[in-house]
Amino acid sequence: MGTFEHQPPVTLTDPAADDWTQGFWDAAAEGRLAVTRCSSCGTFRLPPGRFCRACGSQEVTYETLPGTGTVFTCTVVRQPLSAQDAAGFEEYVPAVIDADGAPGARFVSAVVDCAPDDVAPGMKVRVVWDRVSDALSLPYWTPE
Amino acid sequence: MTTTEPTAKPFRNMPPPNLTDPYADARTQPFWDAARQEQLLGPKCAQCGTFRMPPSTFCPVCLSRELAWEPLPGTGTVYTFIVVRHPLNPMAADYVPFMPAAIDADGAPGMRFISNVVDCEPEDVRVGMPVRVVWNHVSNTLTLPFWTPV
Amino acid sequence: MSLKDEAAVVGVAVARAEGADAQLAMPDLAIVAANAALADAGLERADVQGFCSPSGVCDHGALASQMGVPEVSFSATLTSGSGGGAGALALAAAAISGGFADVVVTLSRYESAPRSGGTGPNALLRPPPGAAASAYGLSGGPGPDGALSAPAALRSYGAAAALTANAYLHRYGISREHVGRWVVQARANAGEKLSLDDYLAAPLVIDPFSELDAAPGIATSYVAAVVTANVERARDLDQPLVVIAGAATGGSPINGAPWQGPAELVASSGHRDVAADVYGMAGASASDIDVALLADDFSPWVLMQLEDYGFCGVGEGGTFVADGRAVVGGTVAVNTHGGNITDAFARGVTHIDEAVRQLRGTATNQVPDASTALVTGDPGTMPLSAVIMRRA
Repeated sequence: MGTFEHQPPVTLTDPAADDWTQGFWDAAAEGRLAVTRCSSCGTFRLPPGRFCRACGSQEVTYETLPGTGTVFTCTVVRQPLSAQDAAGFEEYVPAVIDADGAPGARFVSAVVDCAPDDVAPGMKVRVVWDRVSDALSLPYWTPE
Repeated sequence: MTTTEPTAKPFRNMPPPNLTDPYADARTQPFWDAARQEQLLGPKCAQCGTFRMPPSTFCPVCLSRELAWEPLPGTGTVYTFIVVRHPLNPMAADYVPFMPAAIDADGAPGMRFISNVVDCEPEDVRVGMPVRVVWNHVSNTLTLPFWTPV
Repeated sequence: MSLKDEAAVVGVAVARAEGADAQLAMPDLAIVAANAALADAGLERADVQGFCSPSGVCDHGALASQMGVPEVSFSATLTSGSGGGAGALALAAAAISGGFADVVVTLSRYESAPRSGGTGPNALLRPPPGAAASAYGLSGGPGPDGALSAPAALRSYGAAAALTANAYLHRYGISREHVGRWVVQARANAGEKLSLDDYLAAPLVIDPFSELDAAPGIATSYVAAVVTANVERARDLDQPLVVIAGAATGGSPINGAPWQGPAELVASSGHRDVAADVYGMAGASASDIDVALLADDFSPWVLMQLEDYGFCGVGEGGTFVADGRAVVGGTVAVNTHGGNITDAFARGVTHIDEAVRQLRGTATNQVPDASTALVTGDPGTMPLSAVIMRRA
């Protein structure tokens, strides 16, 4: 079910964006992968938080990334973890992704359009977008 | 100040009626049953006789789980009190000022009821004032004890 | 200056919500547990001066009042309960060492986990309907930061743990067979039969976990109480003297953002610094530990902690257990009661319980002449913790 094969259940309808995460969702709506970067010292960070872990600044920019990356770790959800997922359940692959261009920041998402048993750390992937609404696009990753 | 007439009150200076059910369980049901009959009961340890409020599962003195309810004469004294003058909640607007109080009930040494002094002006309440219980029949499950000057 | 050898564990007990106590809520079940632990110690309620917990167990004021403890001079809780026990014991020992109290009761609470919408009994893997989302807020739950991980649909703490476990297993080429050999051993320690074939045949819920890899939901809630006392006081009591030789609580910044640190730290139990601290305080090293009670809400945590506590090299946890070195008579006896992934957890045998029994010489799988025990708290949220106890 959903835009992609092996897509996890879509749970988000409102990202509750604030000043530190709005940039991510604005870029997402335009099909761009962007990551929080400290305006003061340039450190990339996820999750965005409100302060730079390195220098303490609250000033952030959002830097557009190439949209490619590598699987750092992954898992396969083979049984529904919640009663609401039971109907039409399809295995899905949560994954932590090292995104190219943002050393030290990893995205937590899922690998889609790929047989779950074929996904492994080190696999090269690129971002794809599920346009949930005009205001909300969610990032997933698929093999290059 | 509201422009509507305040609802008729059984007692002057009574607190806002925020409770309609006593959420009774097996342990506290005897208190509420007796209250409906206008009888005040005090919880005490059936083993060592120590009064305790609230009526917790264990007696803090001897750890017995056996609880007894002692009929009390219904008189007491004010241990301490406050006067609420400002309605923190809009529903209290028609009820201020009212006087929450801790009452030393005769016959139940060492425990105090938390209740209200009613039918009394705030400036007349004082620590040590002799009071007697009066009953507010709120619903068919809840009768609340209040205290009024003797 | 440290708390080394200033506090002793003098009493342990568990109170289960069953039989006459089936309806007991808090603080009542805590009162039963605390009194039983005091009886084990040979102490009275009037001796108690402090309470502590790994995380919210009950209101200490209500507990003291309803239990009849006349005066409390210490009351504190850690910032997280993960794995219970070890960290709260560090807190109790610190209170005693600091002169706040001579006798402290530590309480941990384990709640029965209801079946999750009919899909299975294991709350760590599948939370009950309406339960809070996974650890670290990374489920896409409420909040701006959580929303960024929403695509992963991590429904449970187990899903987050699976990502960490797989990072570890993959990094070091450790297989489910290695982990399975540990699970089989743990089950044997608990007196339960499980073969490696059975383990490998169990259906996966979230890779690498089957139901056998995670602490099961428990049917009956219980409270575990531990009484610690000033060591001078403890000498006058009848139980063999078990002193706290070292304690540590802490962690690293990645506890708040689990996958954002150096890969080798992310793919580990995170206990390396805590291990250095607790060994440093106790003046001990891995070779001094006779029995290790390693936090095990998930089976791979044991392998990861064997490495971080120096029983083997980094990446060698798999071969260590597969070679049969984590047993009585091996390099170090590990989770001799079976641990949380077995029914020991459901029965109320905690890691601290087992450590104390081993040092008193009353354990079921007794390590001959056990004199030094290590107890750890779960990897995960801050603080990670560890305690070393010694028979004195």
